[in-house]
Amino acid sequence: MALPSLTLLGQSLLSGIFIGALYGLLGLGLSLSWGMLRQINLAHFALAFLGAYLTYQLAGAGMDPLATLAVIVPCFFALGALMHWLLARFSVSAFNSLLVTFGLTAIIEALIQWIWTADFRRMESAYGEVKFRVGGLYVALPELLTLAMALALSLAAWAWLRHTYTGKAMRAIAEDAPIAAAFGVDVRGLSLLLSGLCAAFAGVAGLCLALSYTLAPGQIYAWLGVVFAAVMLGGLGNPLGPLVAGIVIGVSEALTMAFTAPAWAPLVSFSLLIVVLLARPGRI
Amino acid sequence: MLEVERIRVSYGAAPAISEVSIRIGPGELACVVGPNGAGKTTLINAIAGLHSIEAGALRLDGRDLSRLPRHAFCGEGIAIVPEGRRLFAGMSVRENLELGSYRRAARARRAESLERVCGVFPILRERLEQPAGTLSGGQQQMLAIGRALMAQPRLLLLDEPSLGLAPAVVLAVLDVIKQINAGGVAVLLVEQNAALALEIAARAYVLEEGRIAAEGSPEALLAQPHIRRAYLG
Repeated sequence: MALPSLTLLGQSLLSGIFIGALYGLLGLGLSLSWGMLRQINLAHFALAFLGAYLTYQLAGAGMDPLATLAVIVPCFFALGALMHWLLARFSVSAFNSLLVTFGLTAIIEALIQWIWTADFRRMESAYGEVKFRVGGLYVALPELLTLAMALALSLAAWAWLRHTYTGKAMRAIAEDAPIAAAFGVDVRGLSLLLSGLCAAFAGVAGLCLALSYTLAPGQIYAWLGVVFAAVMLGGLGNPLGPLVAGIVIGVSEALTMAFTAPAWAPLVSFSLLIVVLLARPGRI
Repeated sequence: MLEVERIRVSYGAAPAISEVSIRIGPGELACVVGPNGAGKTTLINAIAGLHSIEAGALRLDGRDLSRLPRHAFCGEGIAIVPEGRRLFAGMSVRENLELGSYRRAARARRAESLERVCGVFPILRERLEQPAGTLSGGQQQMLAIGRALMAQPRLLLLDEPSLGLAPAVVLAVLDVIKQINAGGVAVLLVEQNAALALEIAARAYVLEEGRIAAEGSPEALLAQPHIRRAYLG
């Protein structure tokens, strides 16, 4: 086995961190709604891709990609709240939410295919061209934006849950919703708020997908396994968990690719998940 | 102040309690005793808004509570120390107490309430930053009572506060309950340990198989031989 050069190693490390940030950003909403509301929202990935396609569409119409957030975030917030309202209305259990949202994923996928066809779509934007050179390493602006947004949203969610009254009430709901209600917490209202936020996070992740990747409807499923791994590794409902775990997975994948062959990368992330689950079984 | 009138609460098809009526006067300390499975917890949970009521009326100072959403009961001045304590185990002692004062009116007096609770339970002050789940059983009971006091209740509901505690701790907890009551808070105490409850209550109800079997002052109840035999052995 030939050792890779330092530059290659550094570049792998960087790309591992950046892809890890996207895993984290995609996992954030999934982890919060799973950990706090006991809803495993598979449709989170489809929502992110819907967001990506909307960004593509709006940017194609001349909007700045970052400005599309002003449209996408409120719309997705409403969509997430509506989805939660429906799931709560029919009191869907955690396991059944997995099935229902799987169905929803198929519907959103079909919708995307119907509107944008199954052809590959690539967003053209000024951001995509910008690259910085640091030392011997290249950093692309879209990747940097992804890392910045993942960091900002994860930290904001952490600070909200840790330091505000509503955030603490949200954690109390996760532990014992009826008792939280007995102390005056509006469980329904706050659950709607959190679901809305989670969907809005999916919208932001969608923007990042559109900035860095070529879009195709089938790609929805490509992210599922590894993001679930990041969510579980990070601890359900932990707002910083998906980002930290995502970066650990991203870096170990990138290093595996640099040292061996790209085909080994998924093996590493899932072995990591299995080892952690065995070592700390109380994690989920 | 509290009037419970012929309420019925069911799980599925089977009624857990039916035709249950109790009254608690302002500042009064009342207790409900009865065997396991008689429906004591169901009754107290219904008063706290944890269970919805199928029939009958629930009034606090003449205001009907039975149609209120669950999170509004606390705002009416009712706070519960639930069976099994049900603390937010992963959250710190301080956060548990803060959640006790979640509703707006209680929030404004949070610092004052926190001082009061730490005055009653000095051990909690030392453990403020510790996760509630790491406290001992007695300390958890104190925290559960403290959390309810943070809500500034007019009516405090206590479900089996003595359960699982060492005898010395039980006496300390009872002292605190008496002290809270002396401060003007009405108390409804549910206890399987009838001797303890009847000792401090001014009015008592015996609940059997989901119905009120007897009521009156503790002295009057204890004068009835079959109640003495059933509950005091």
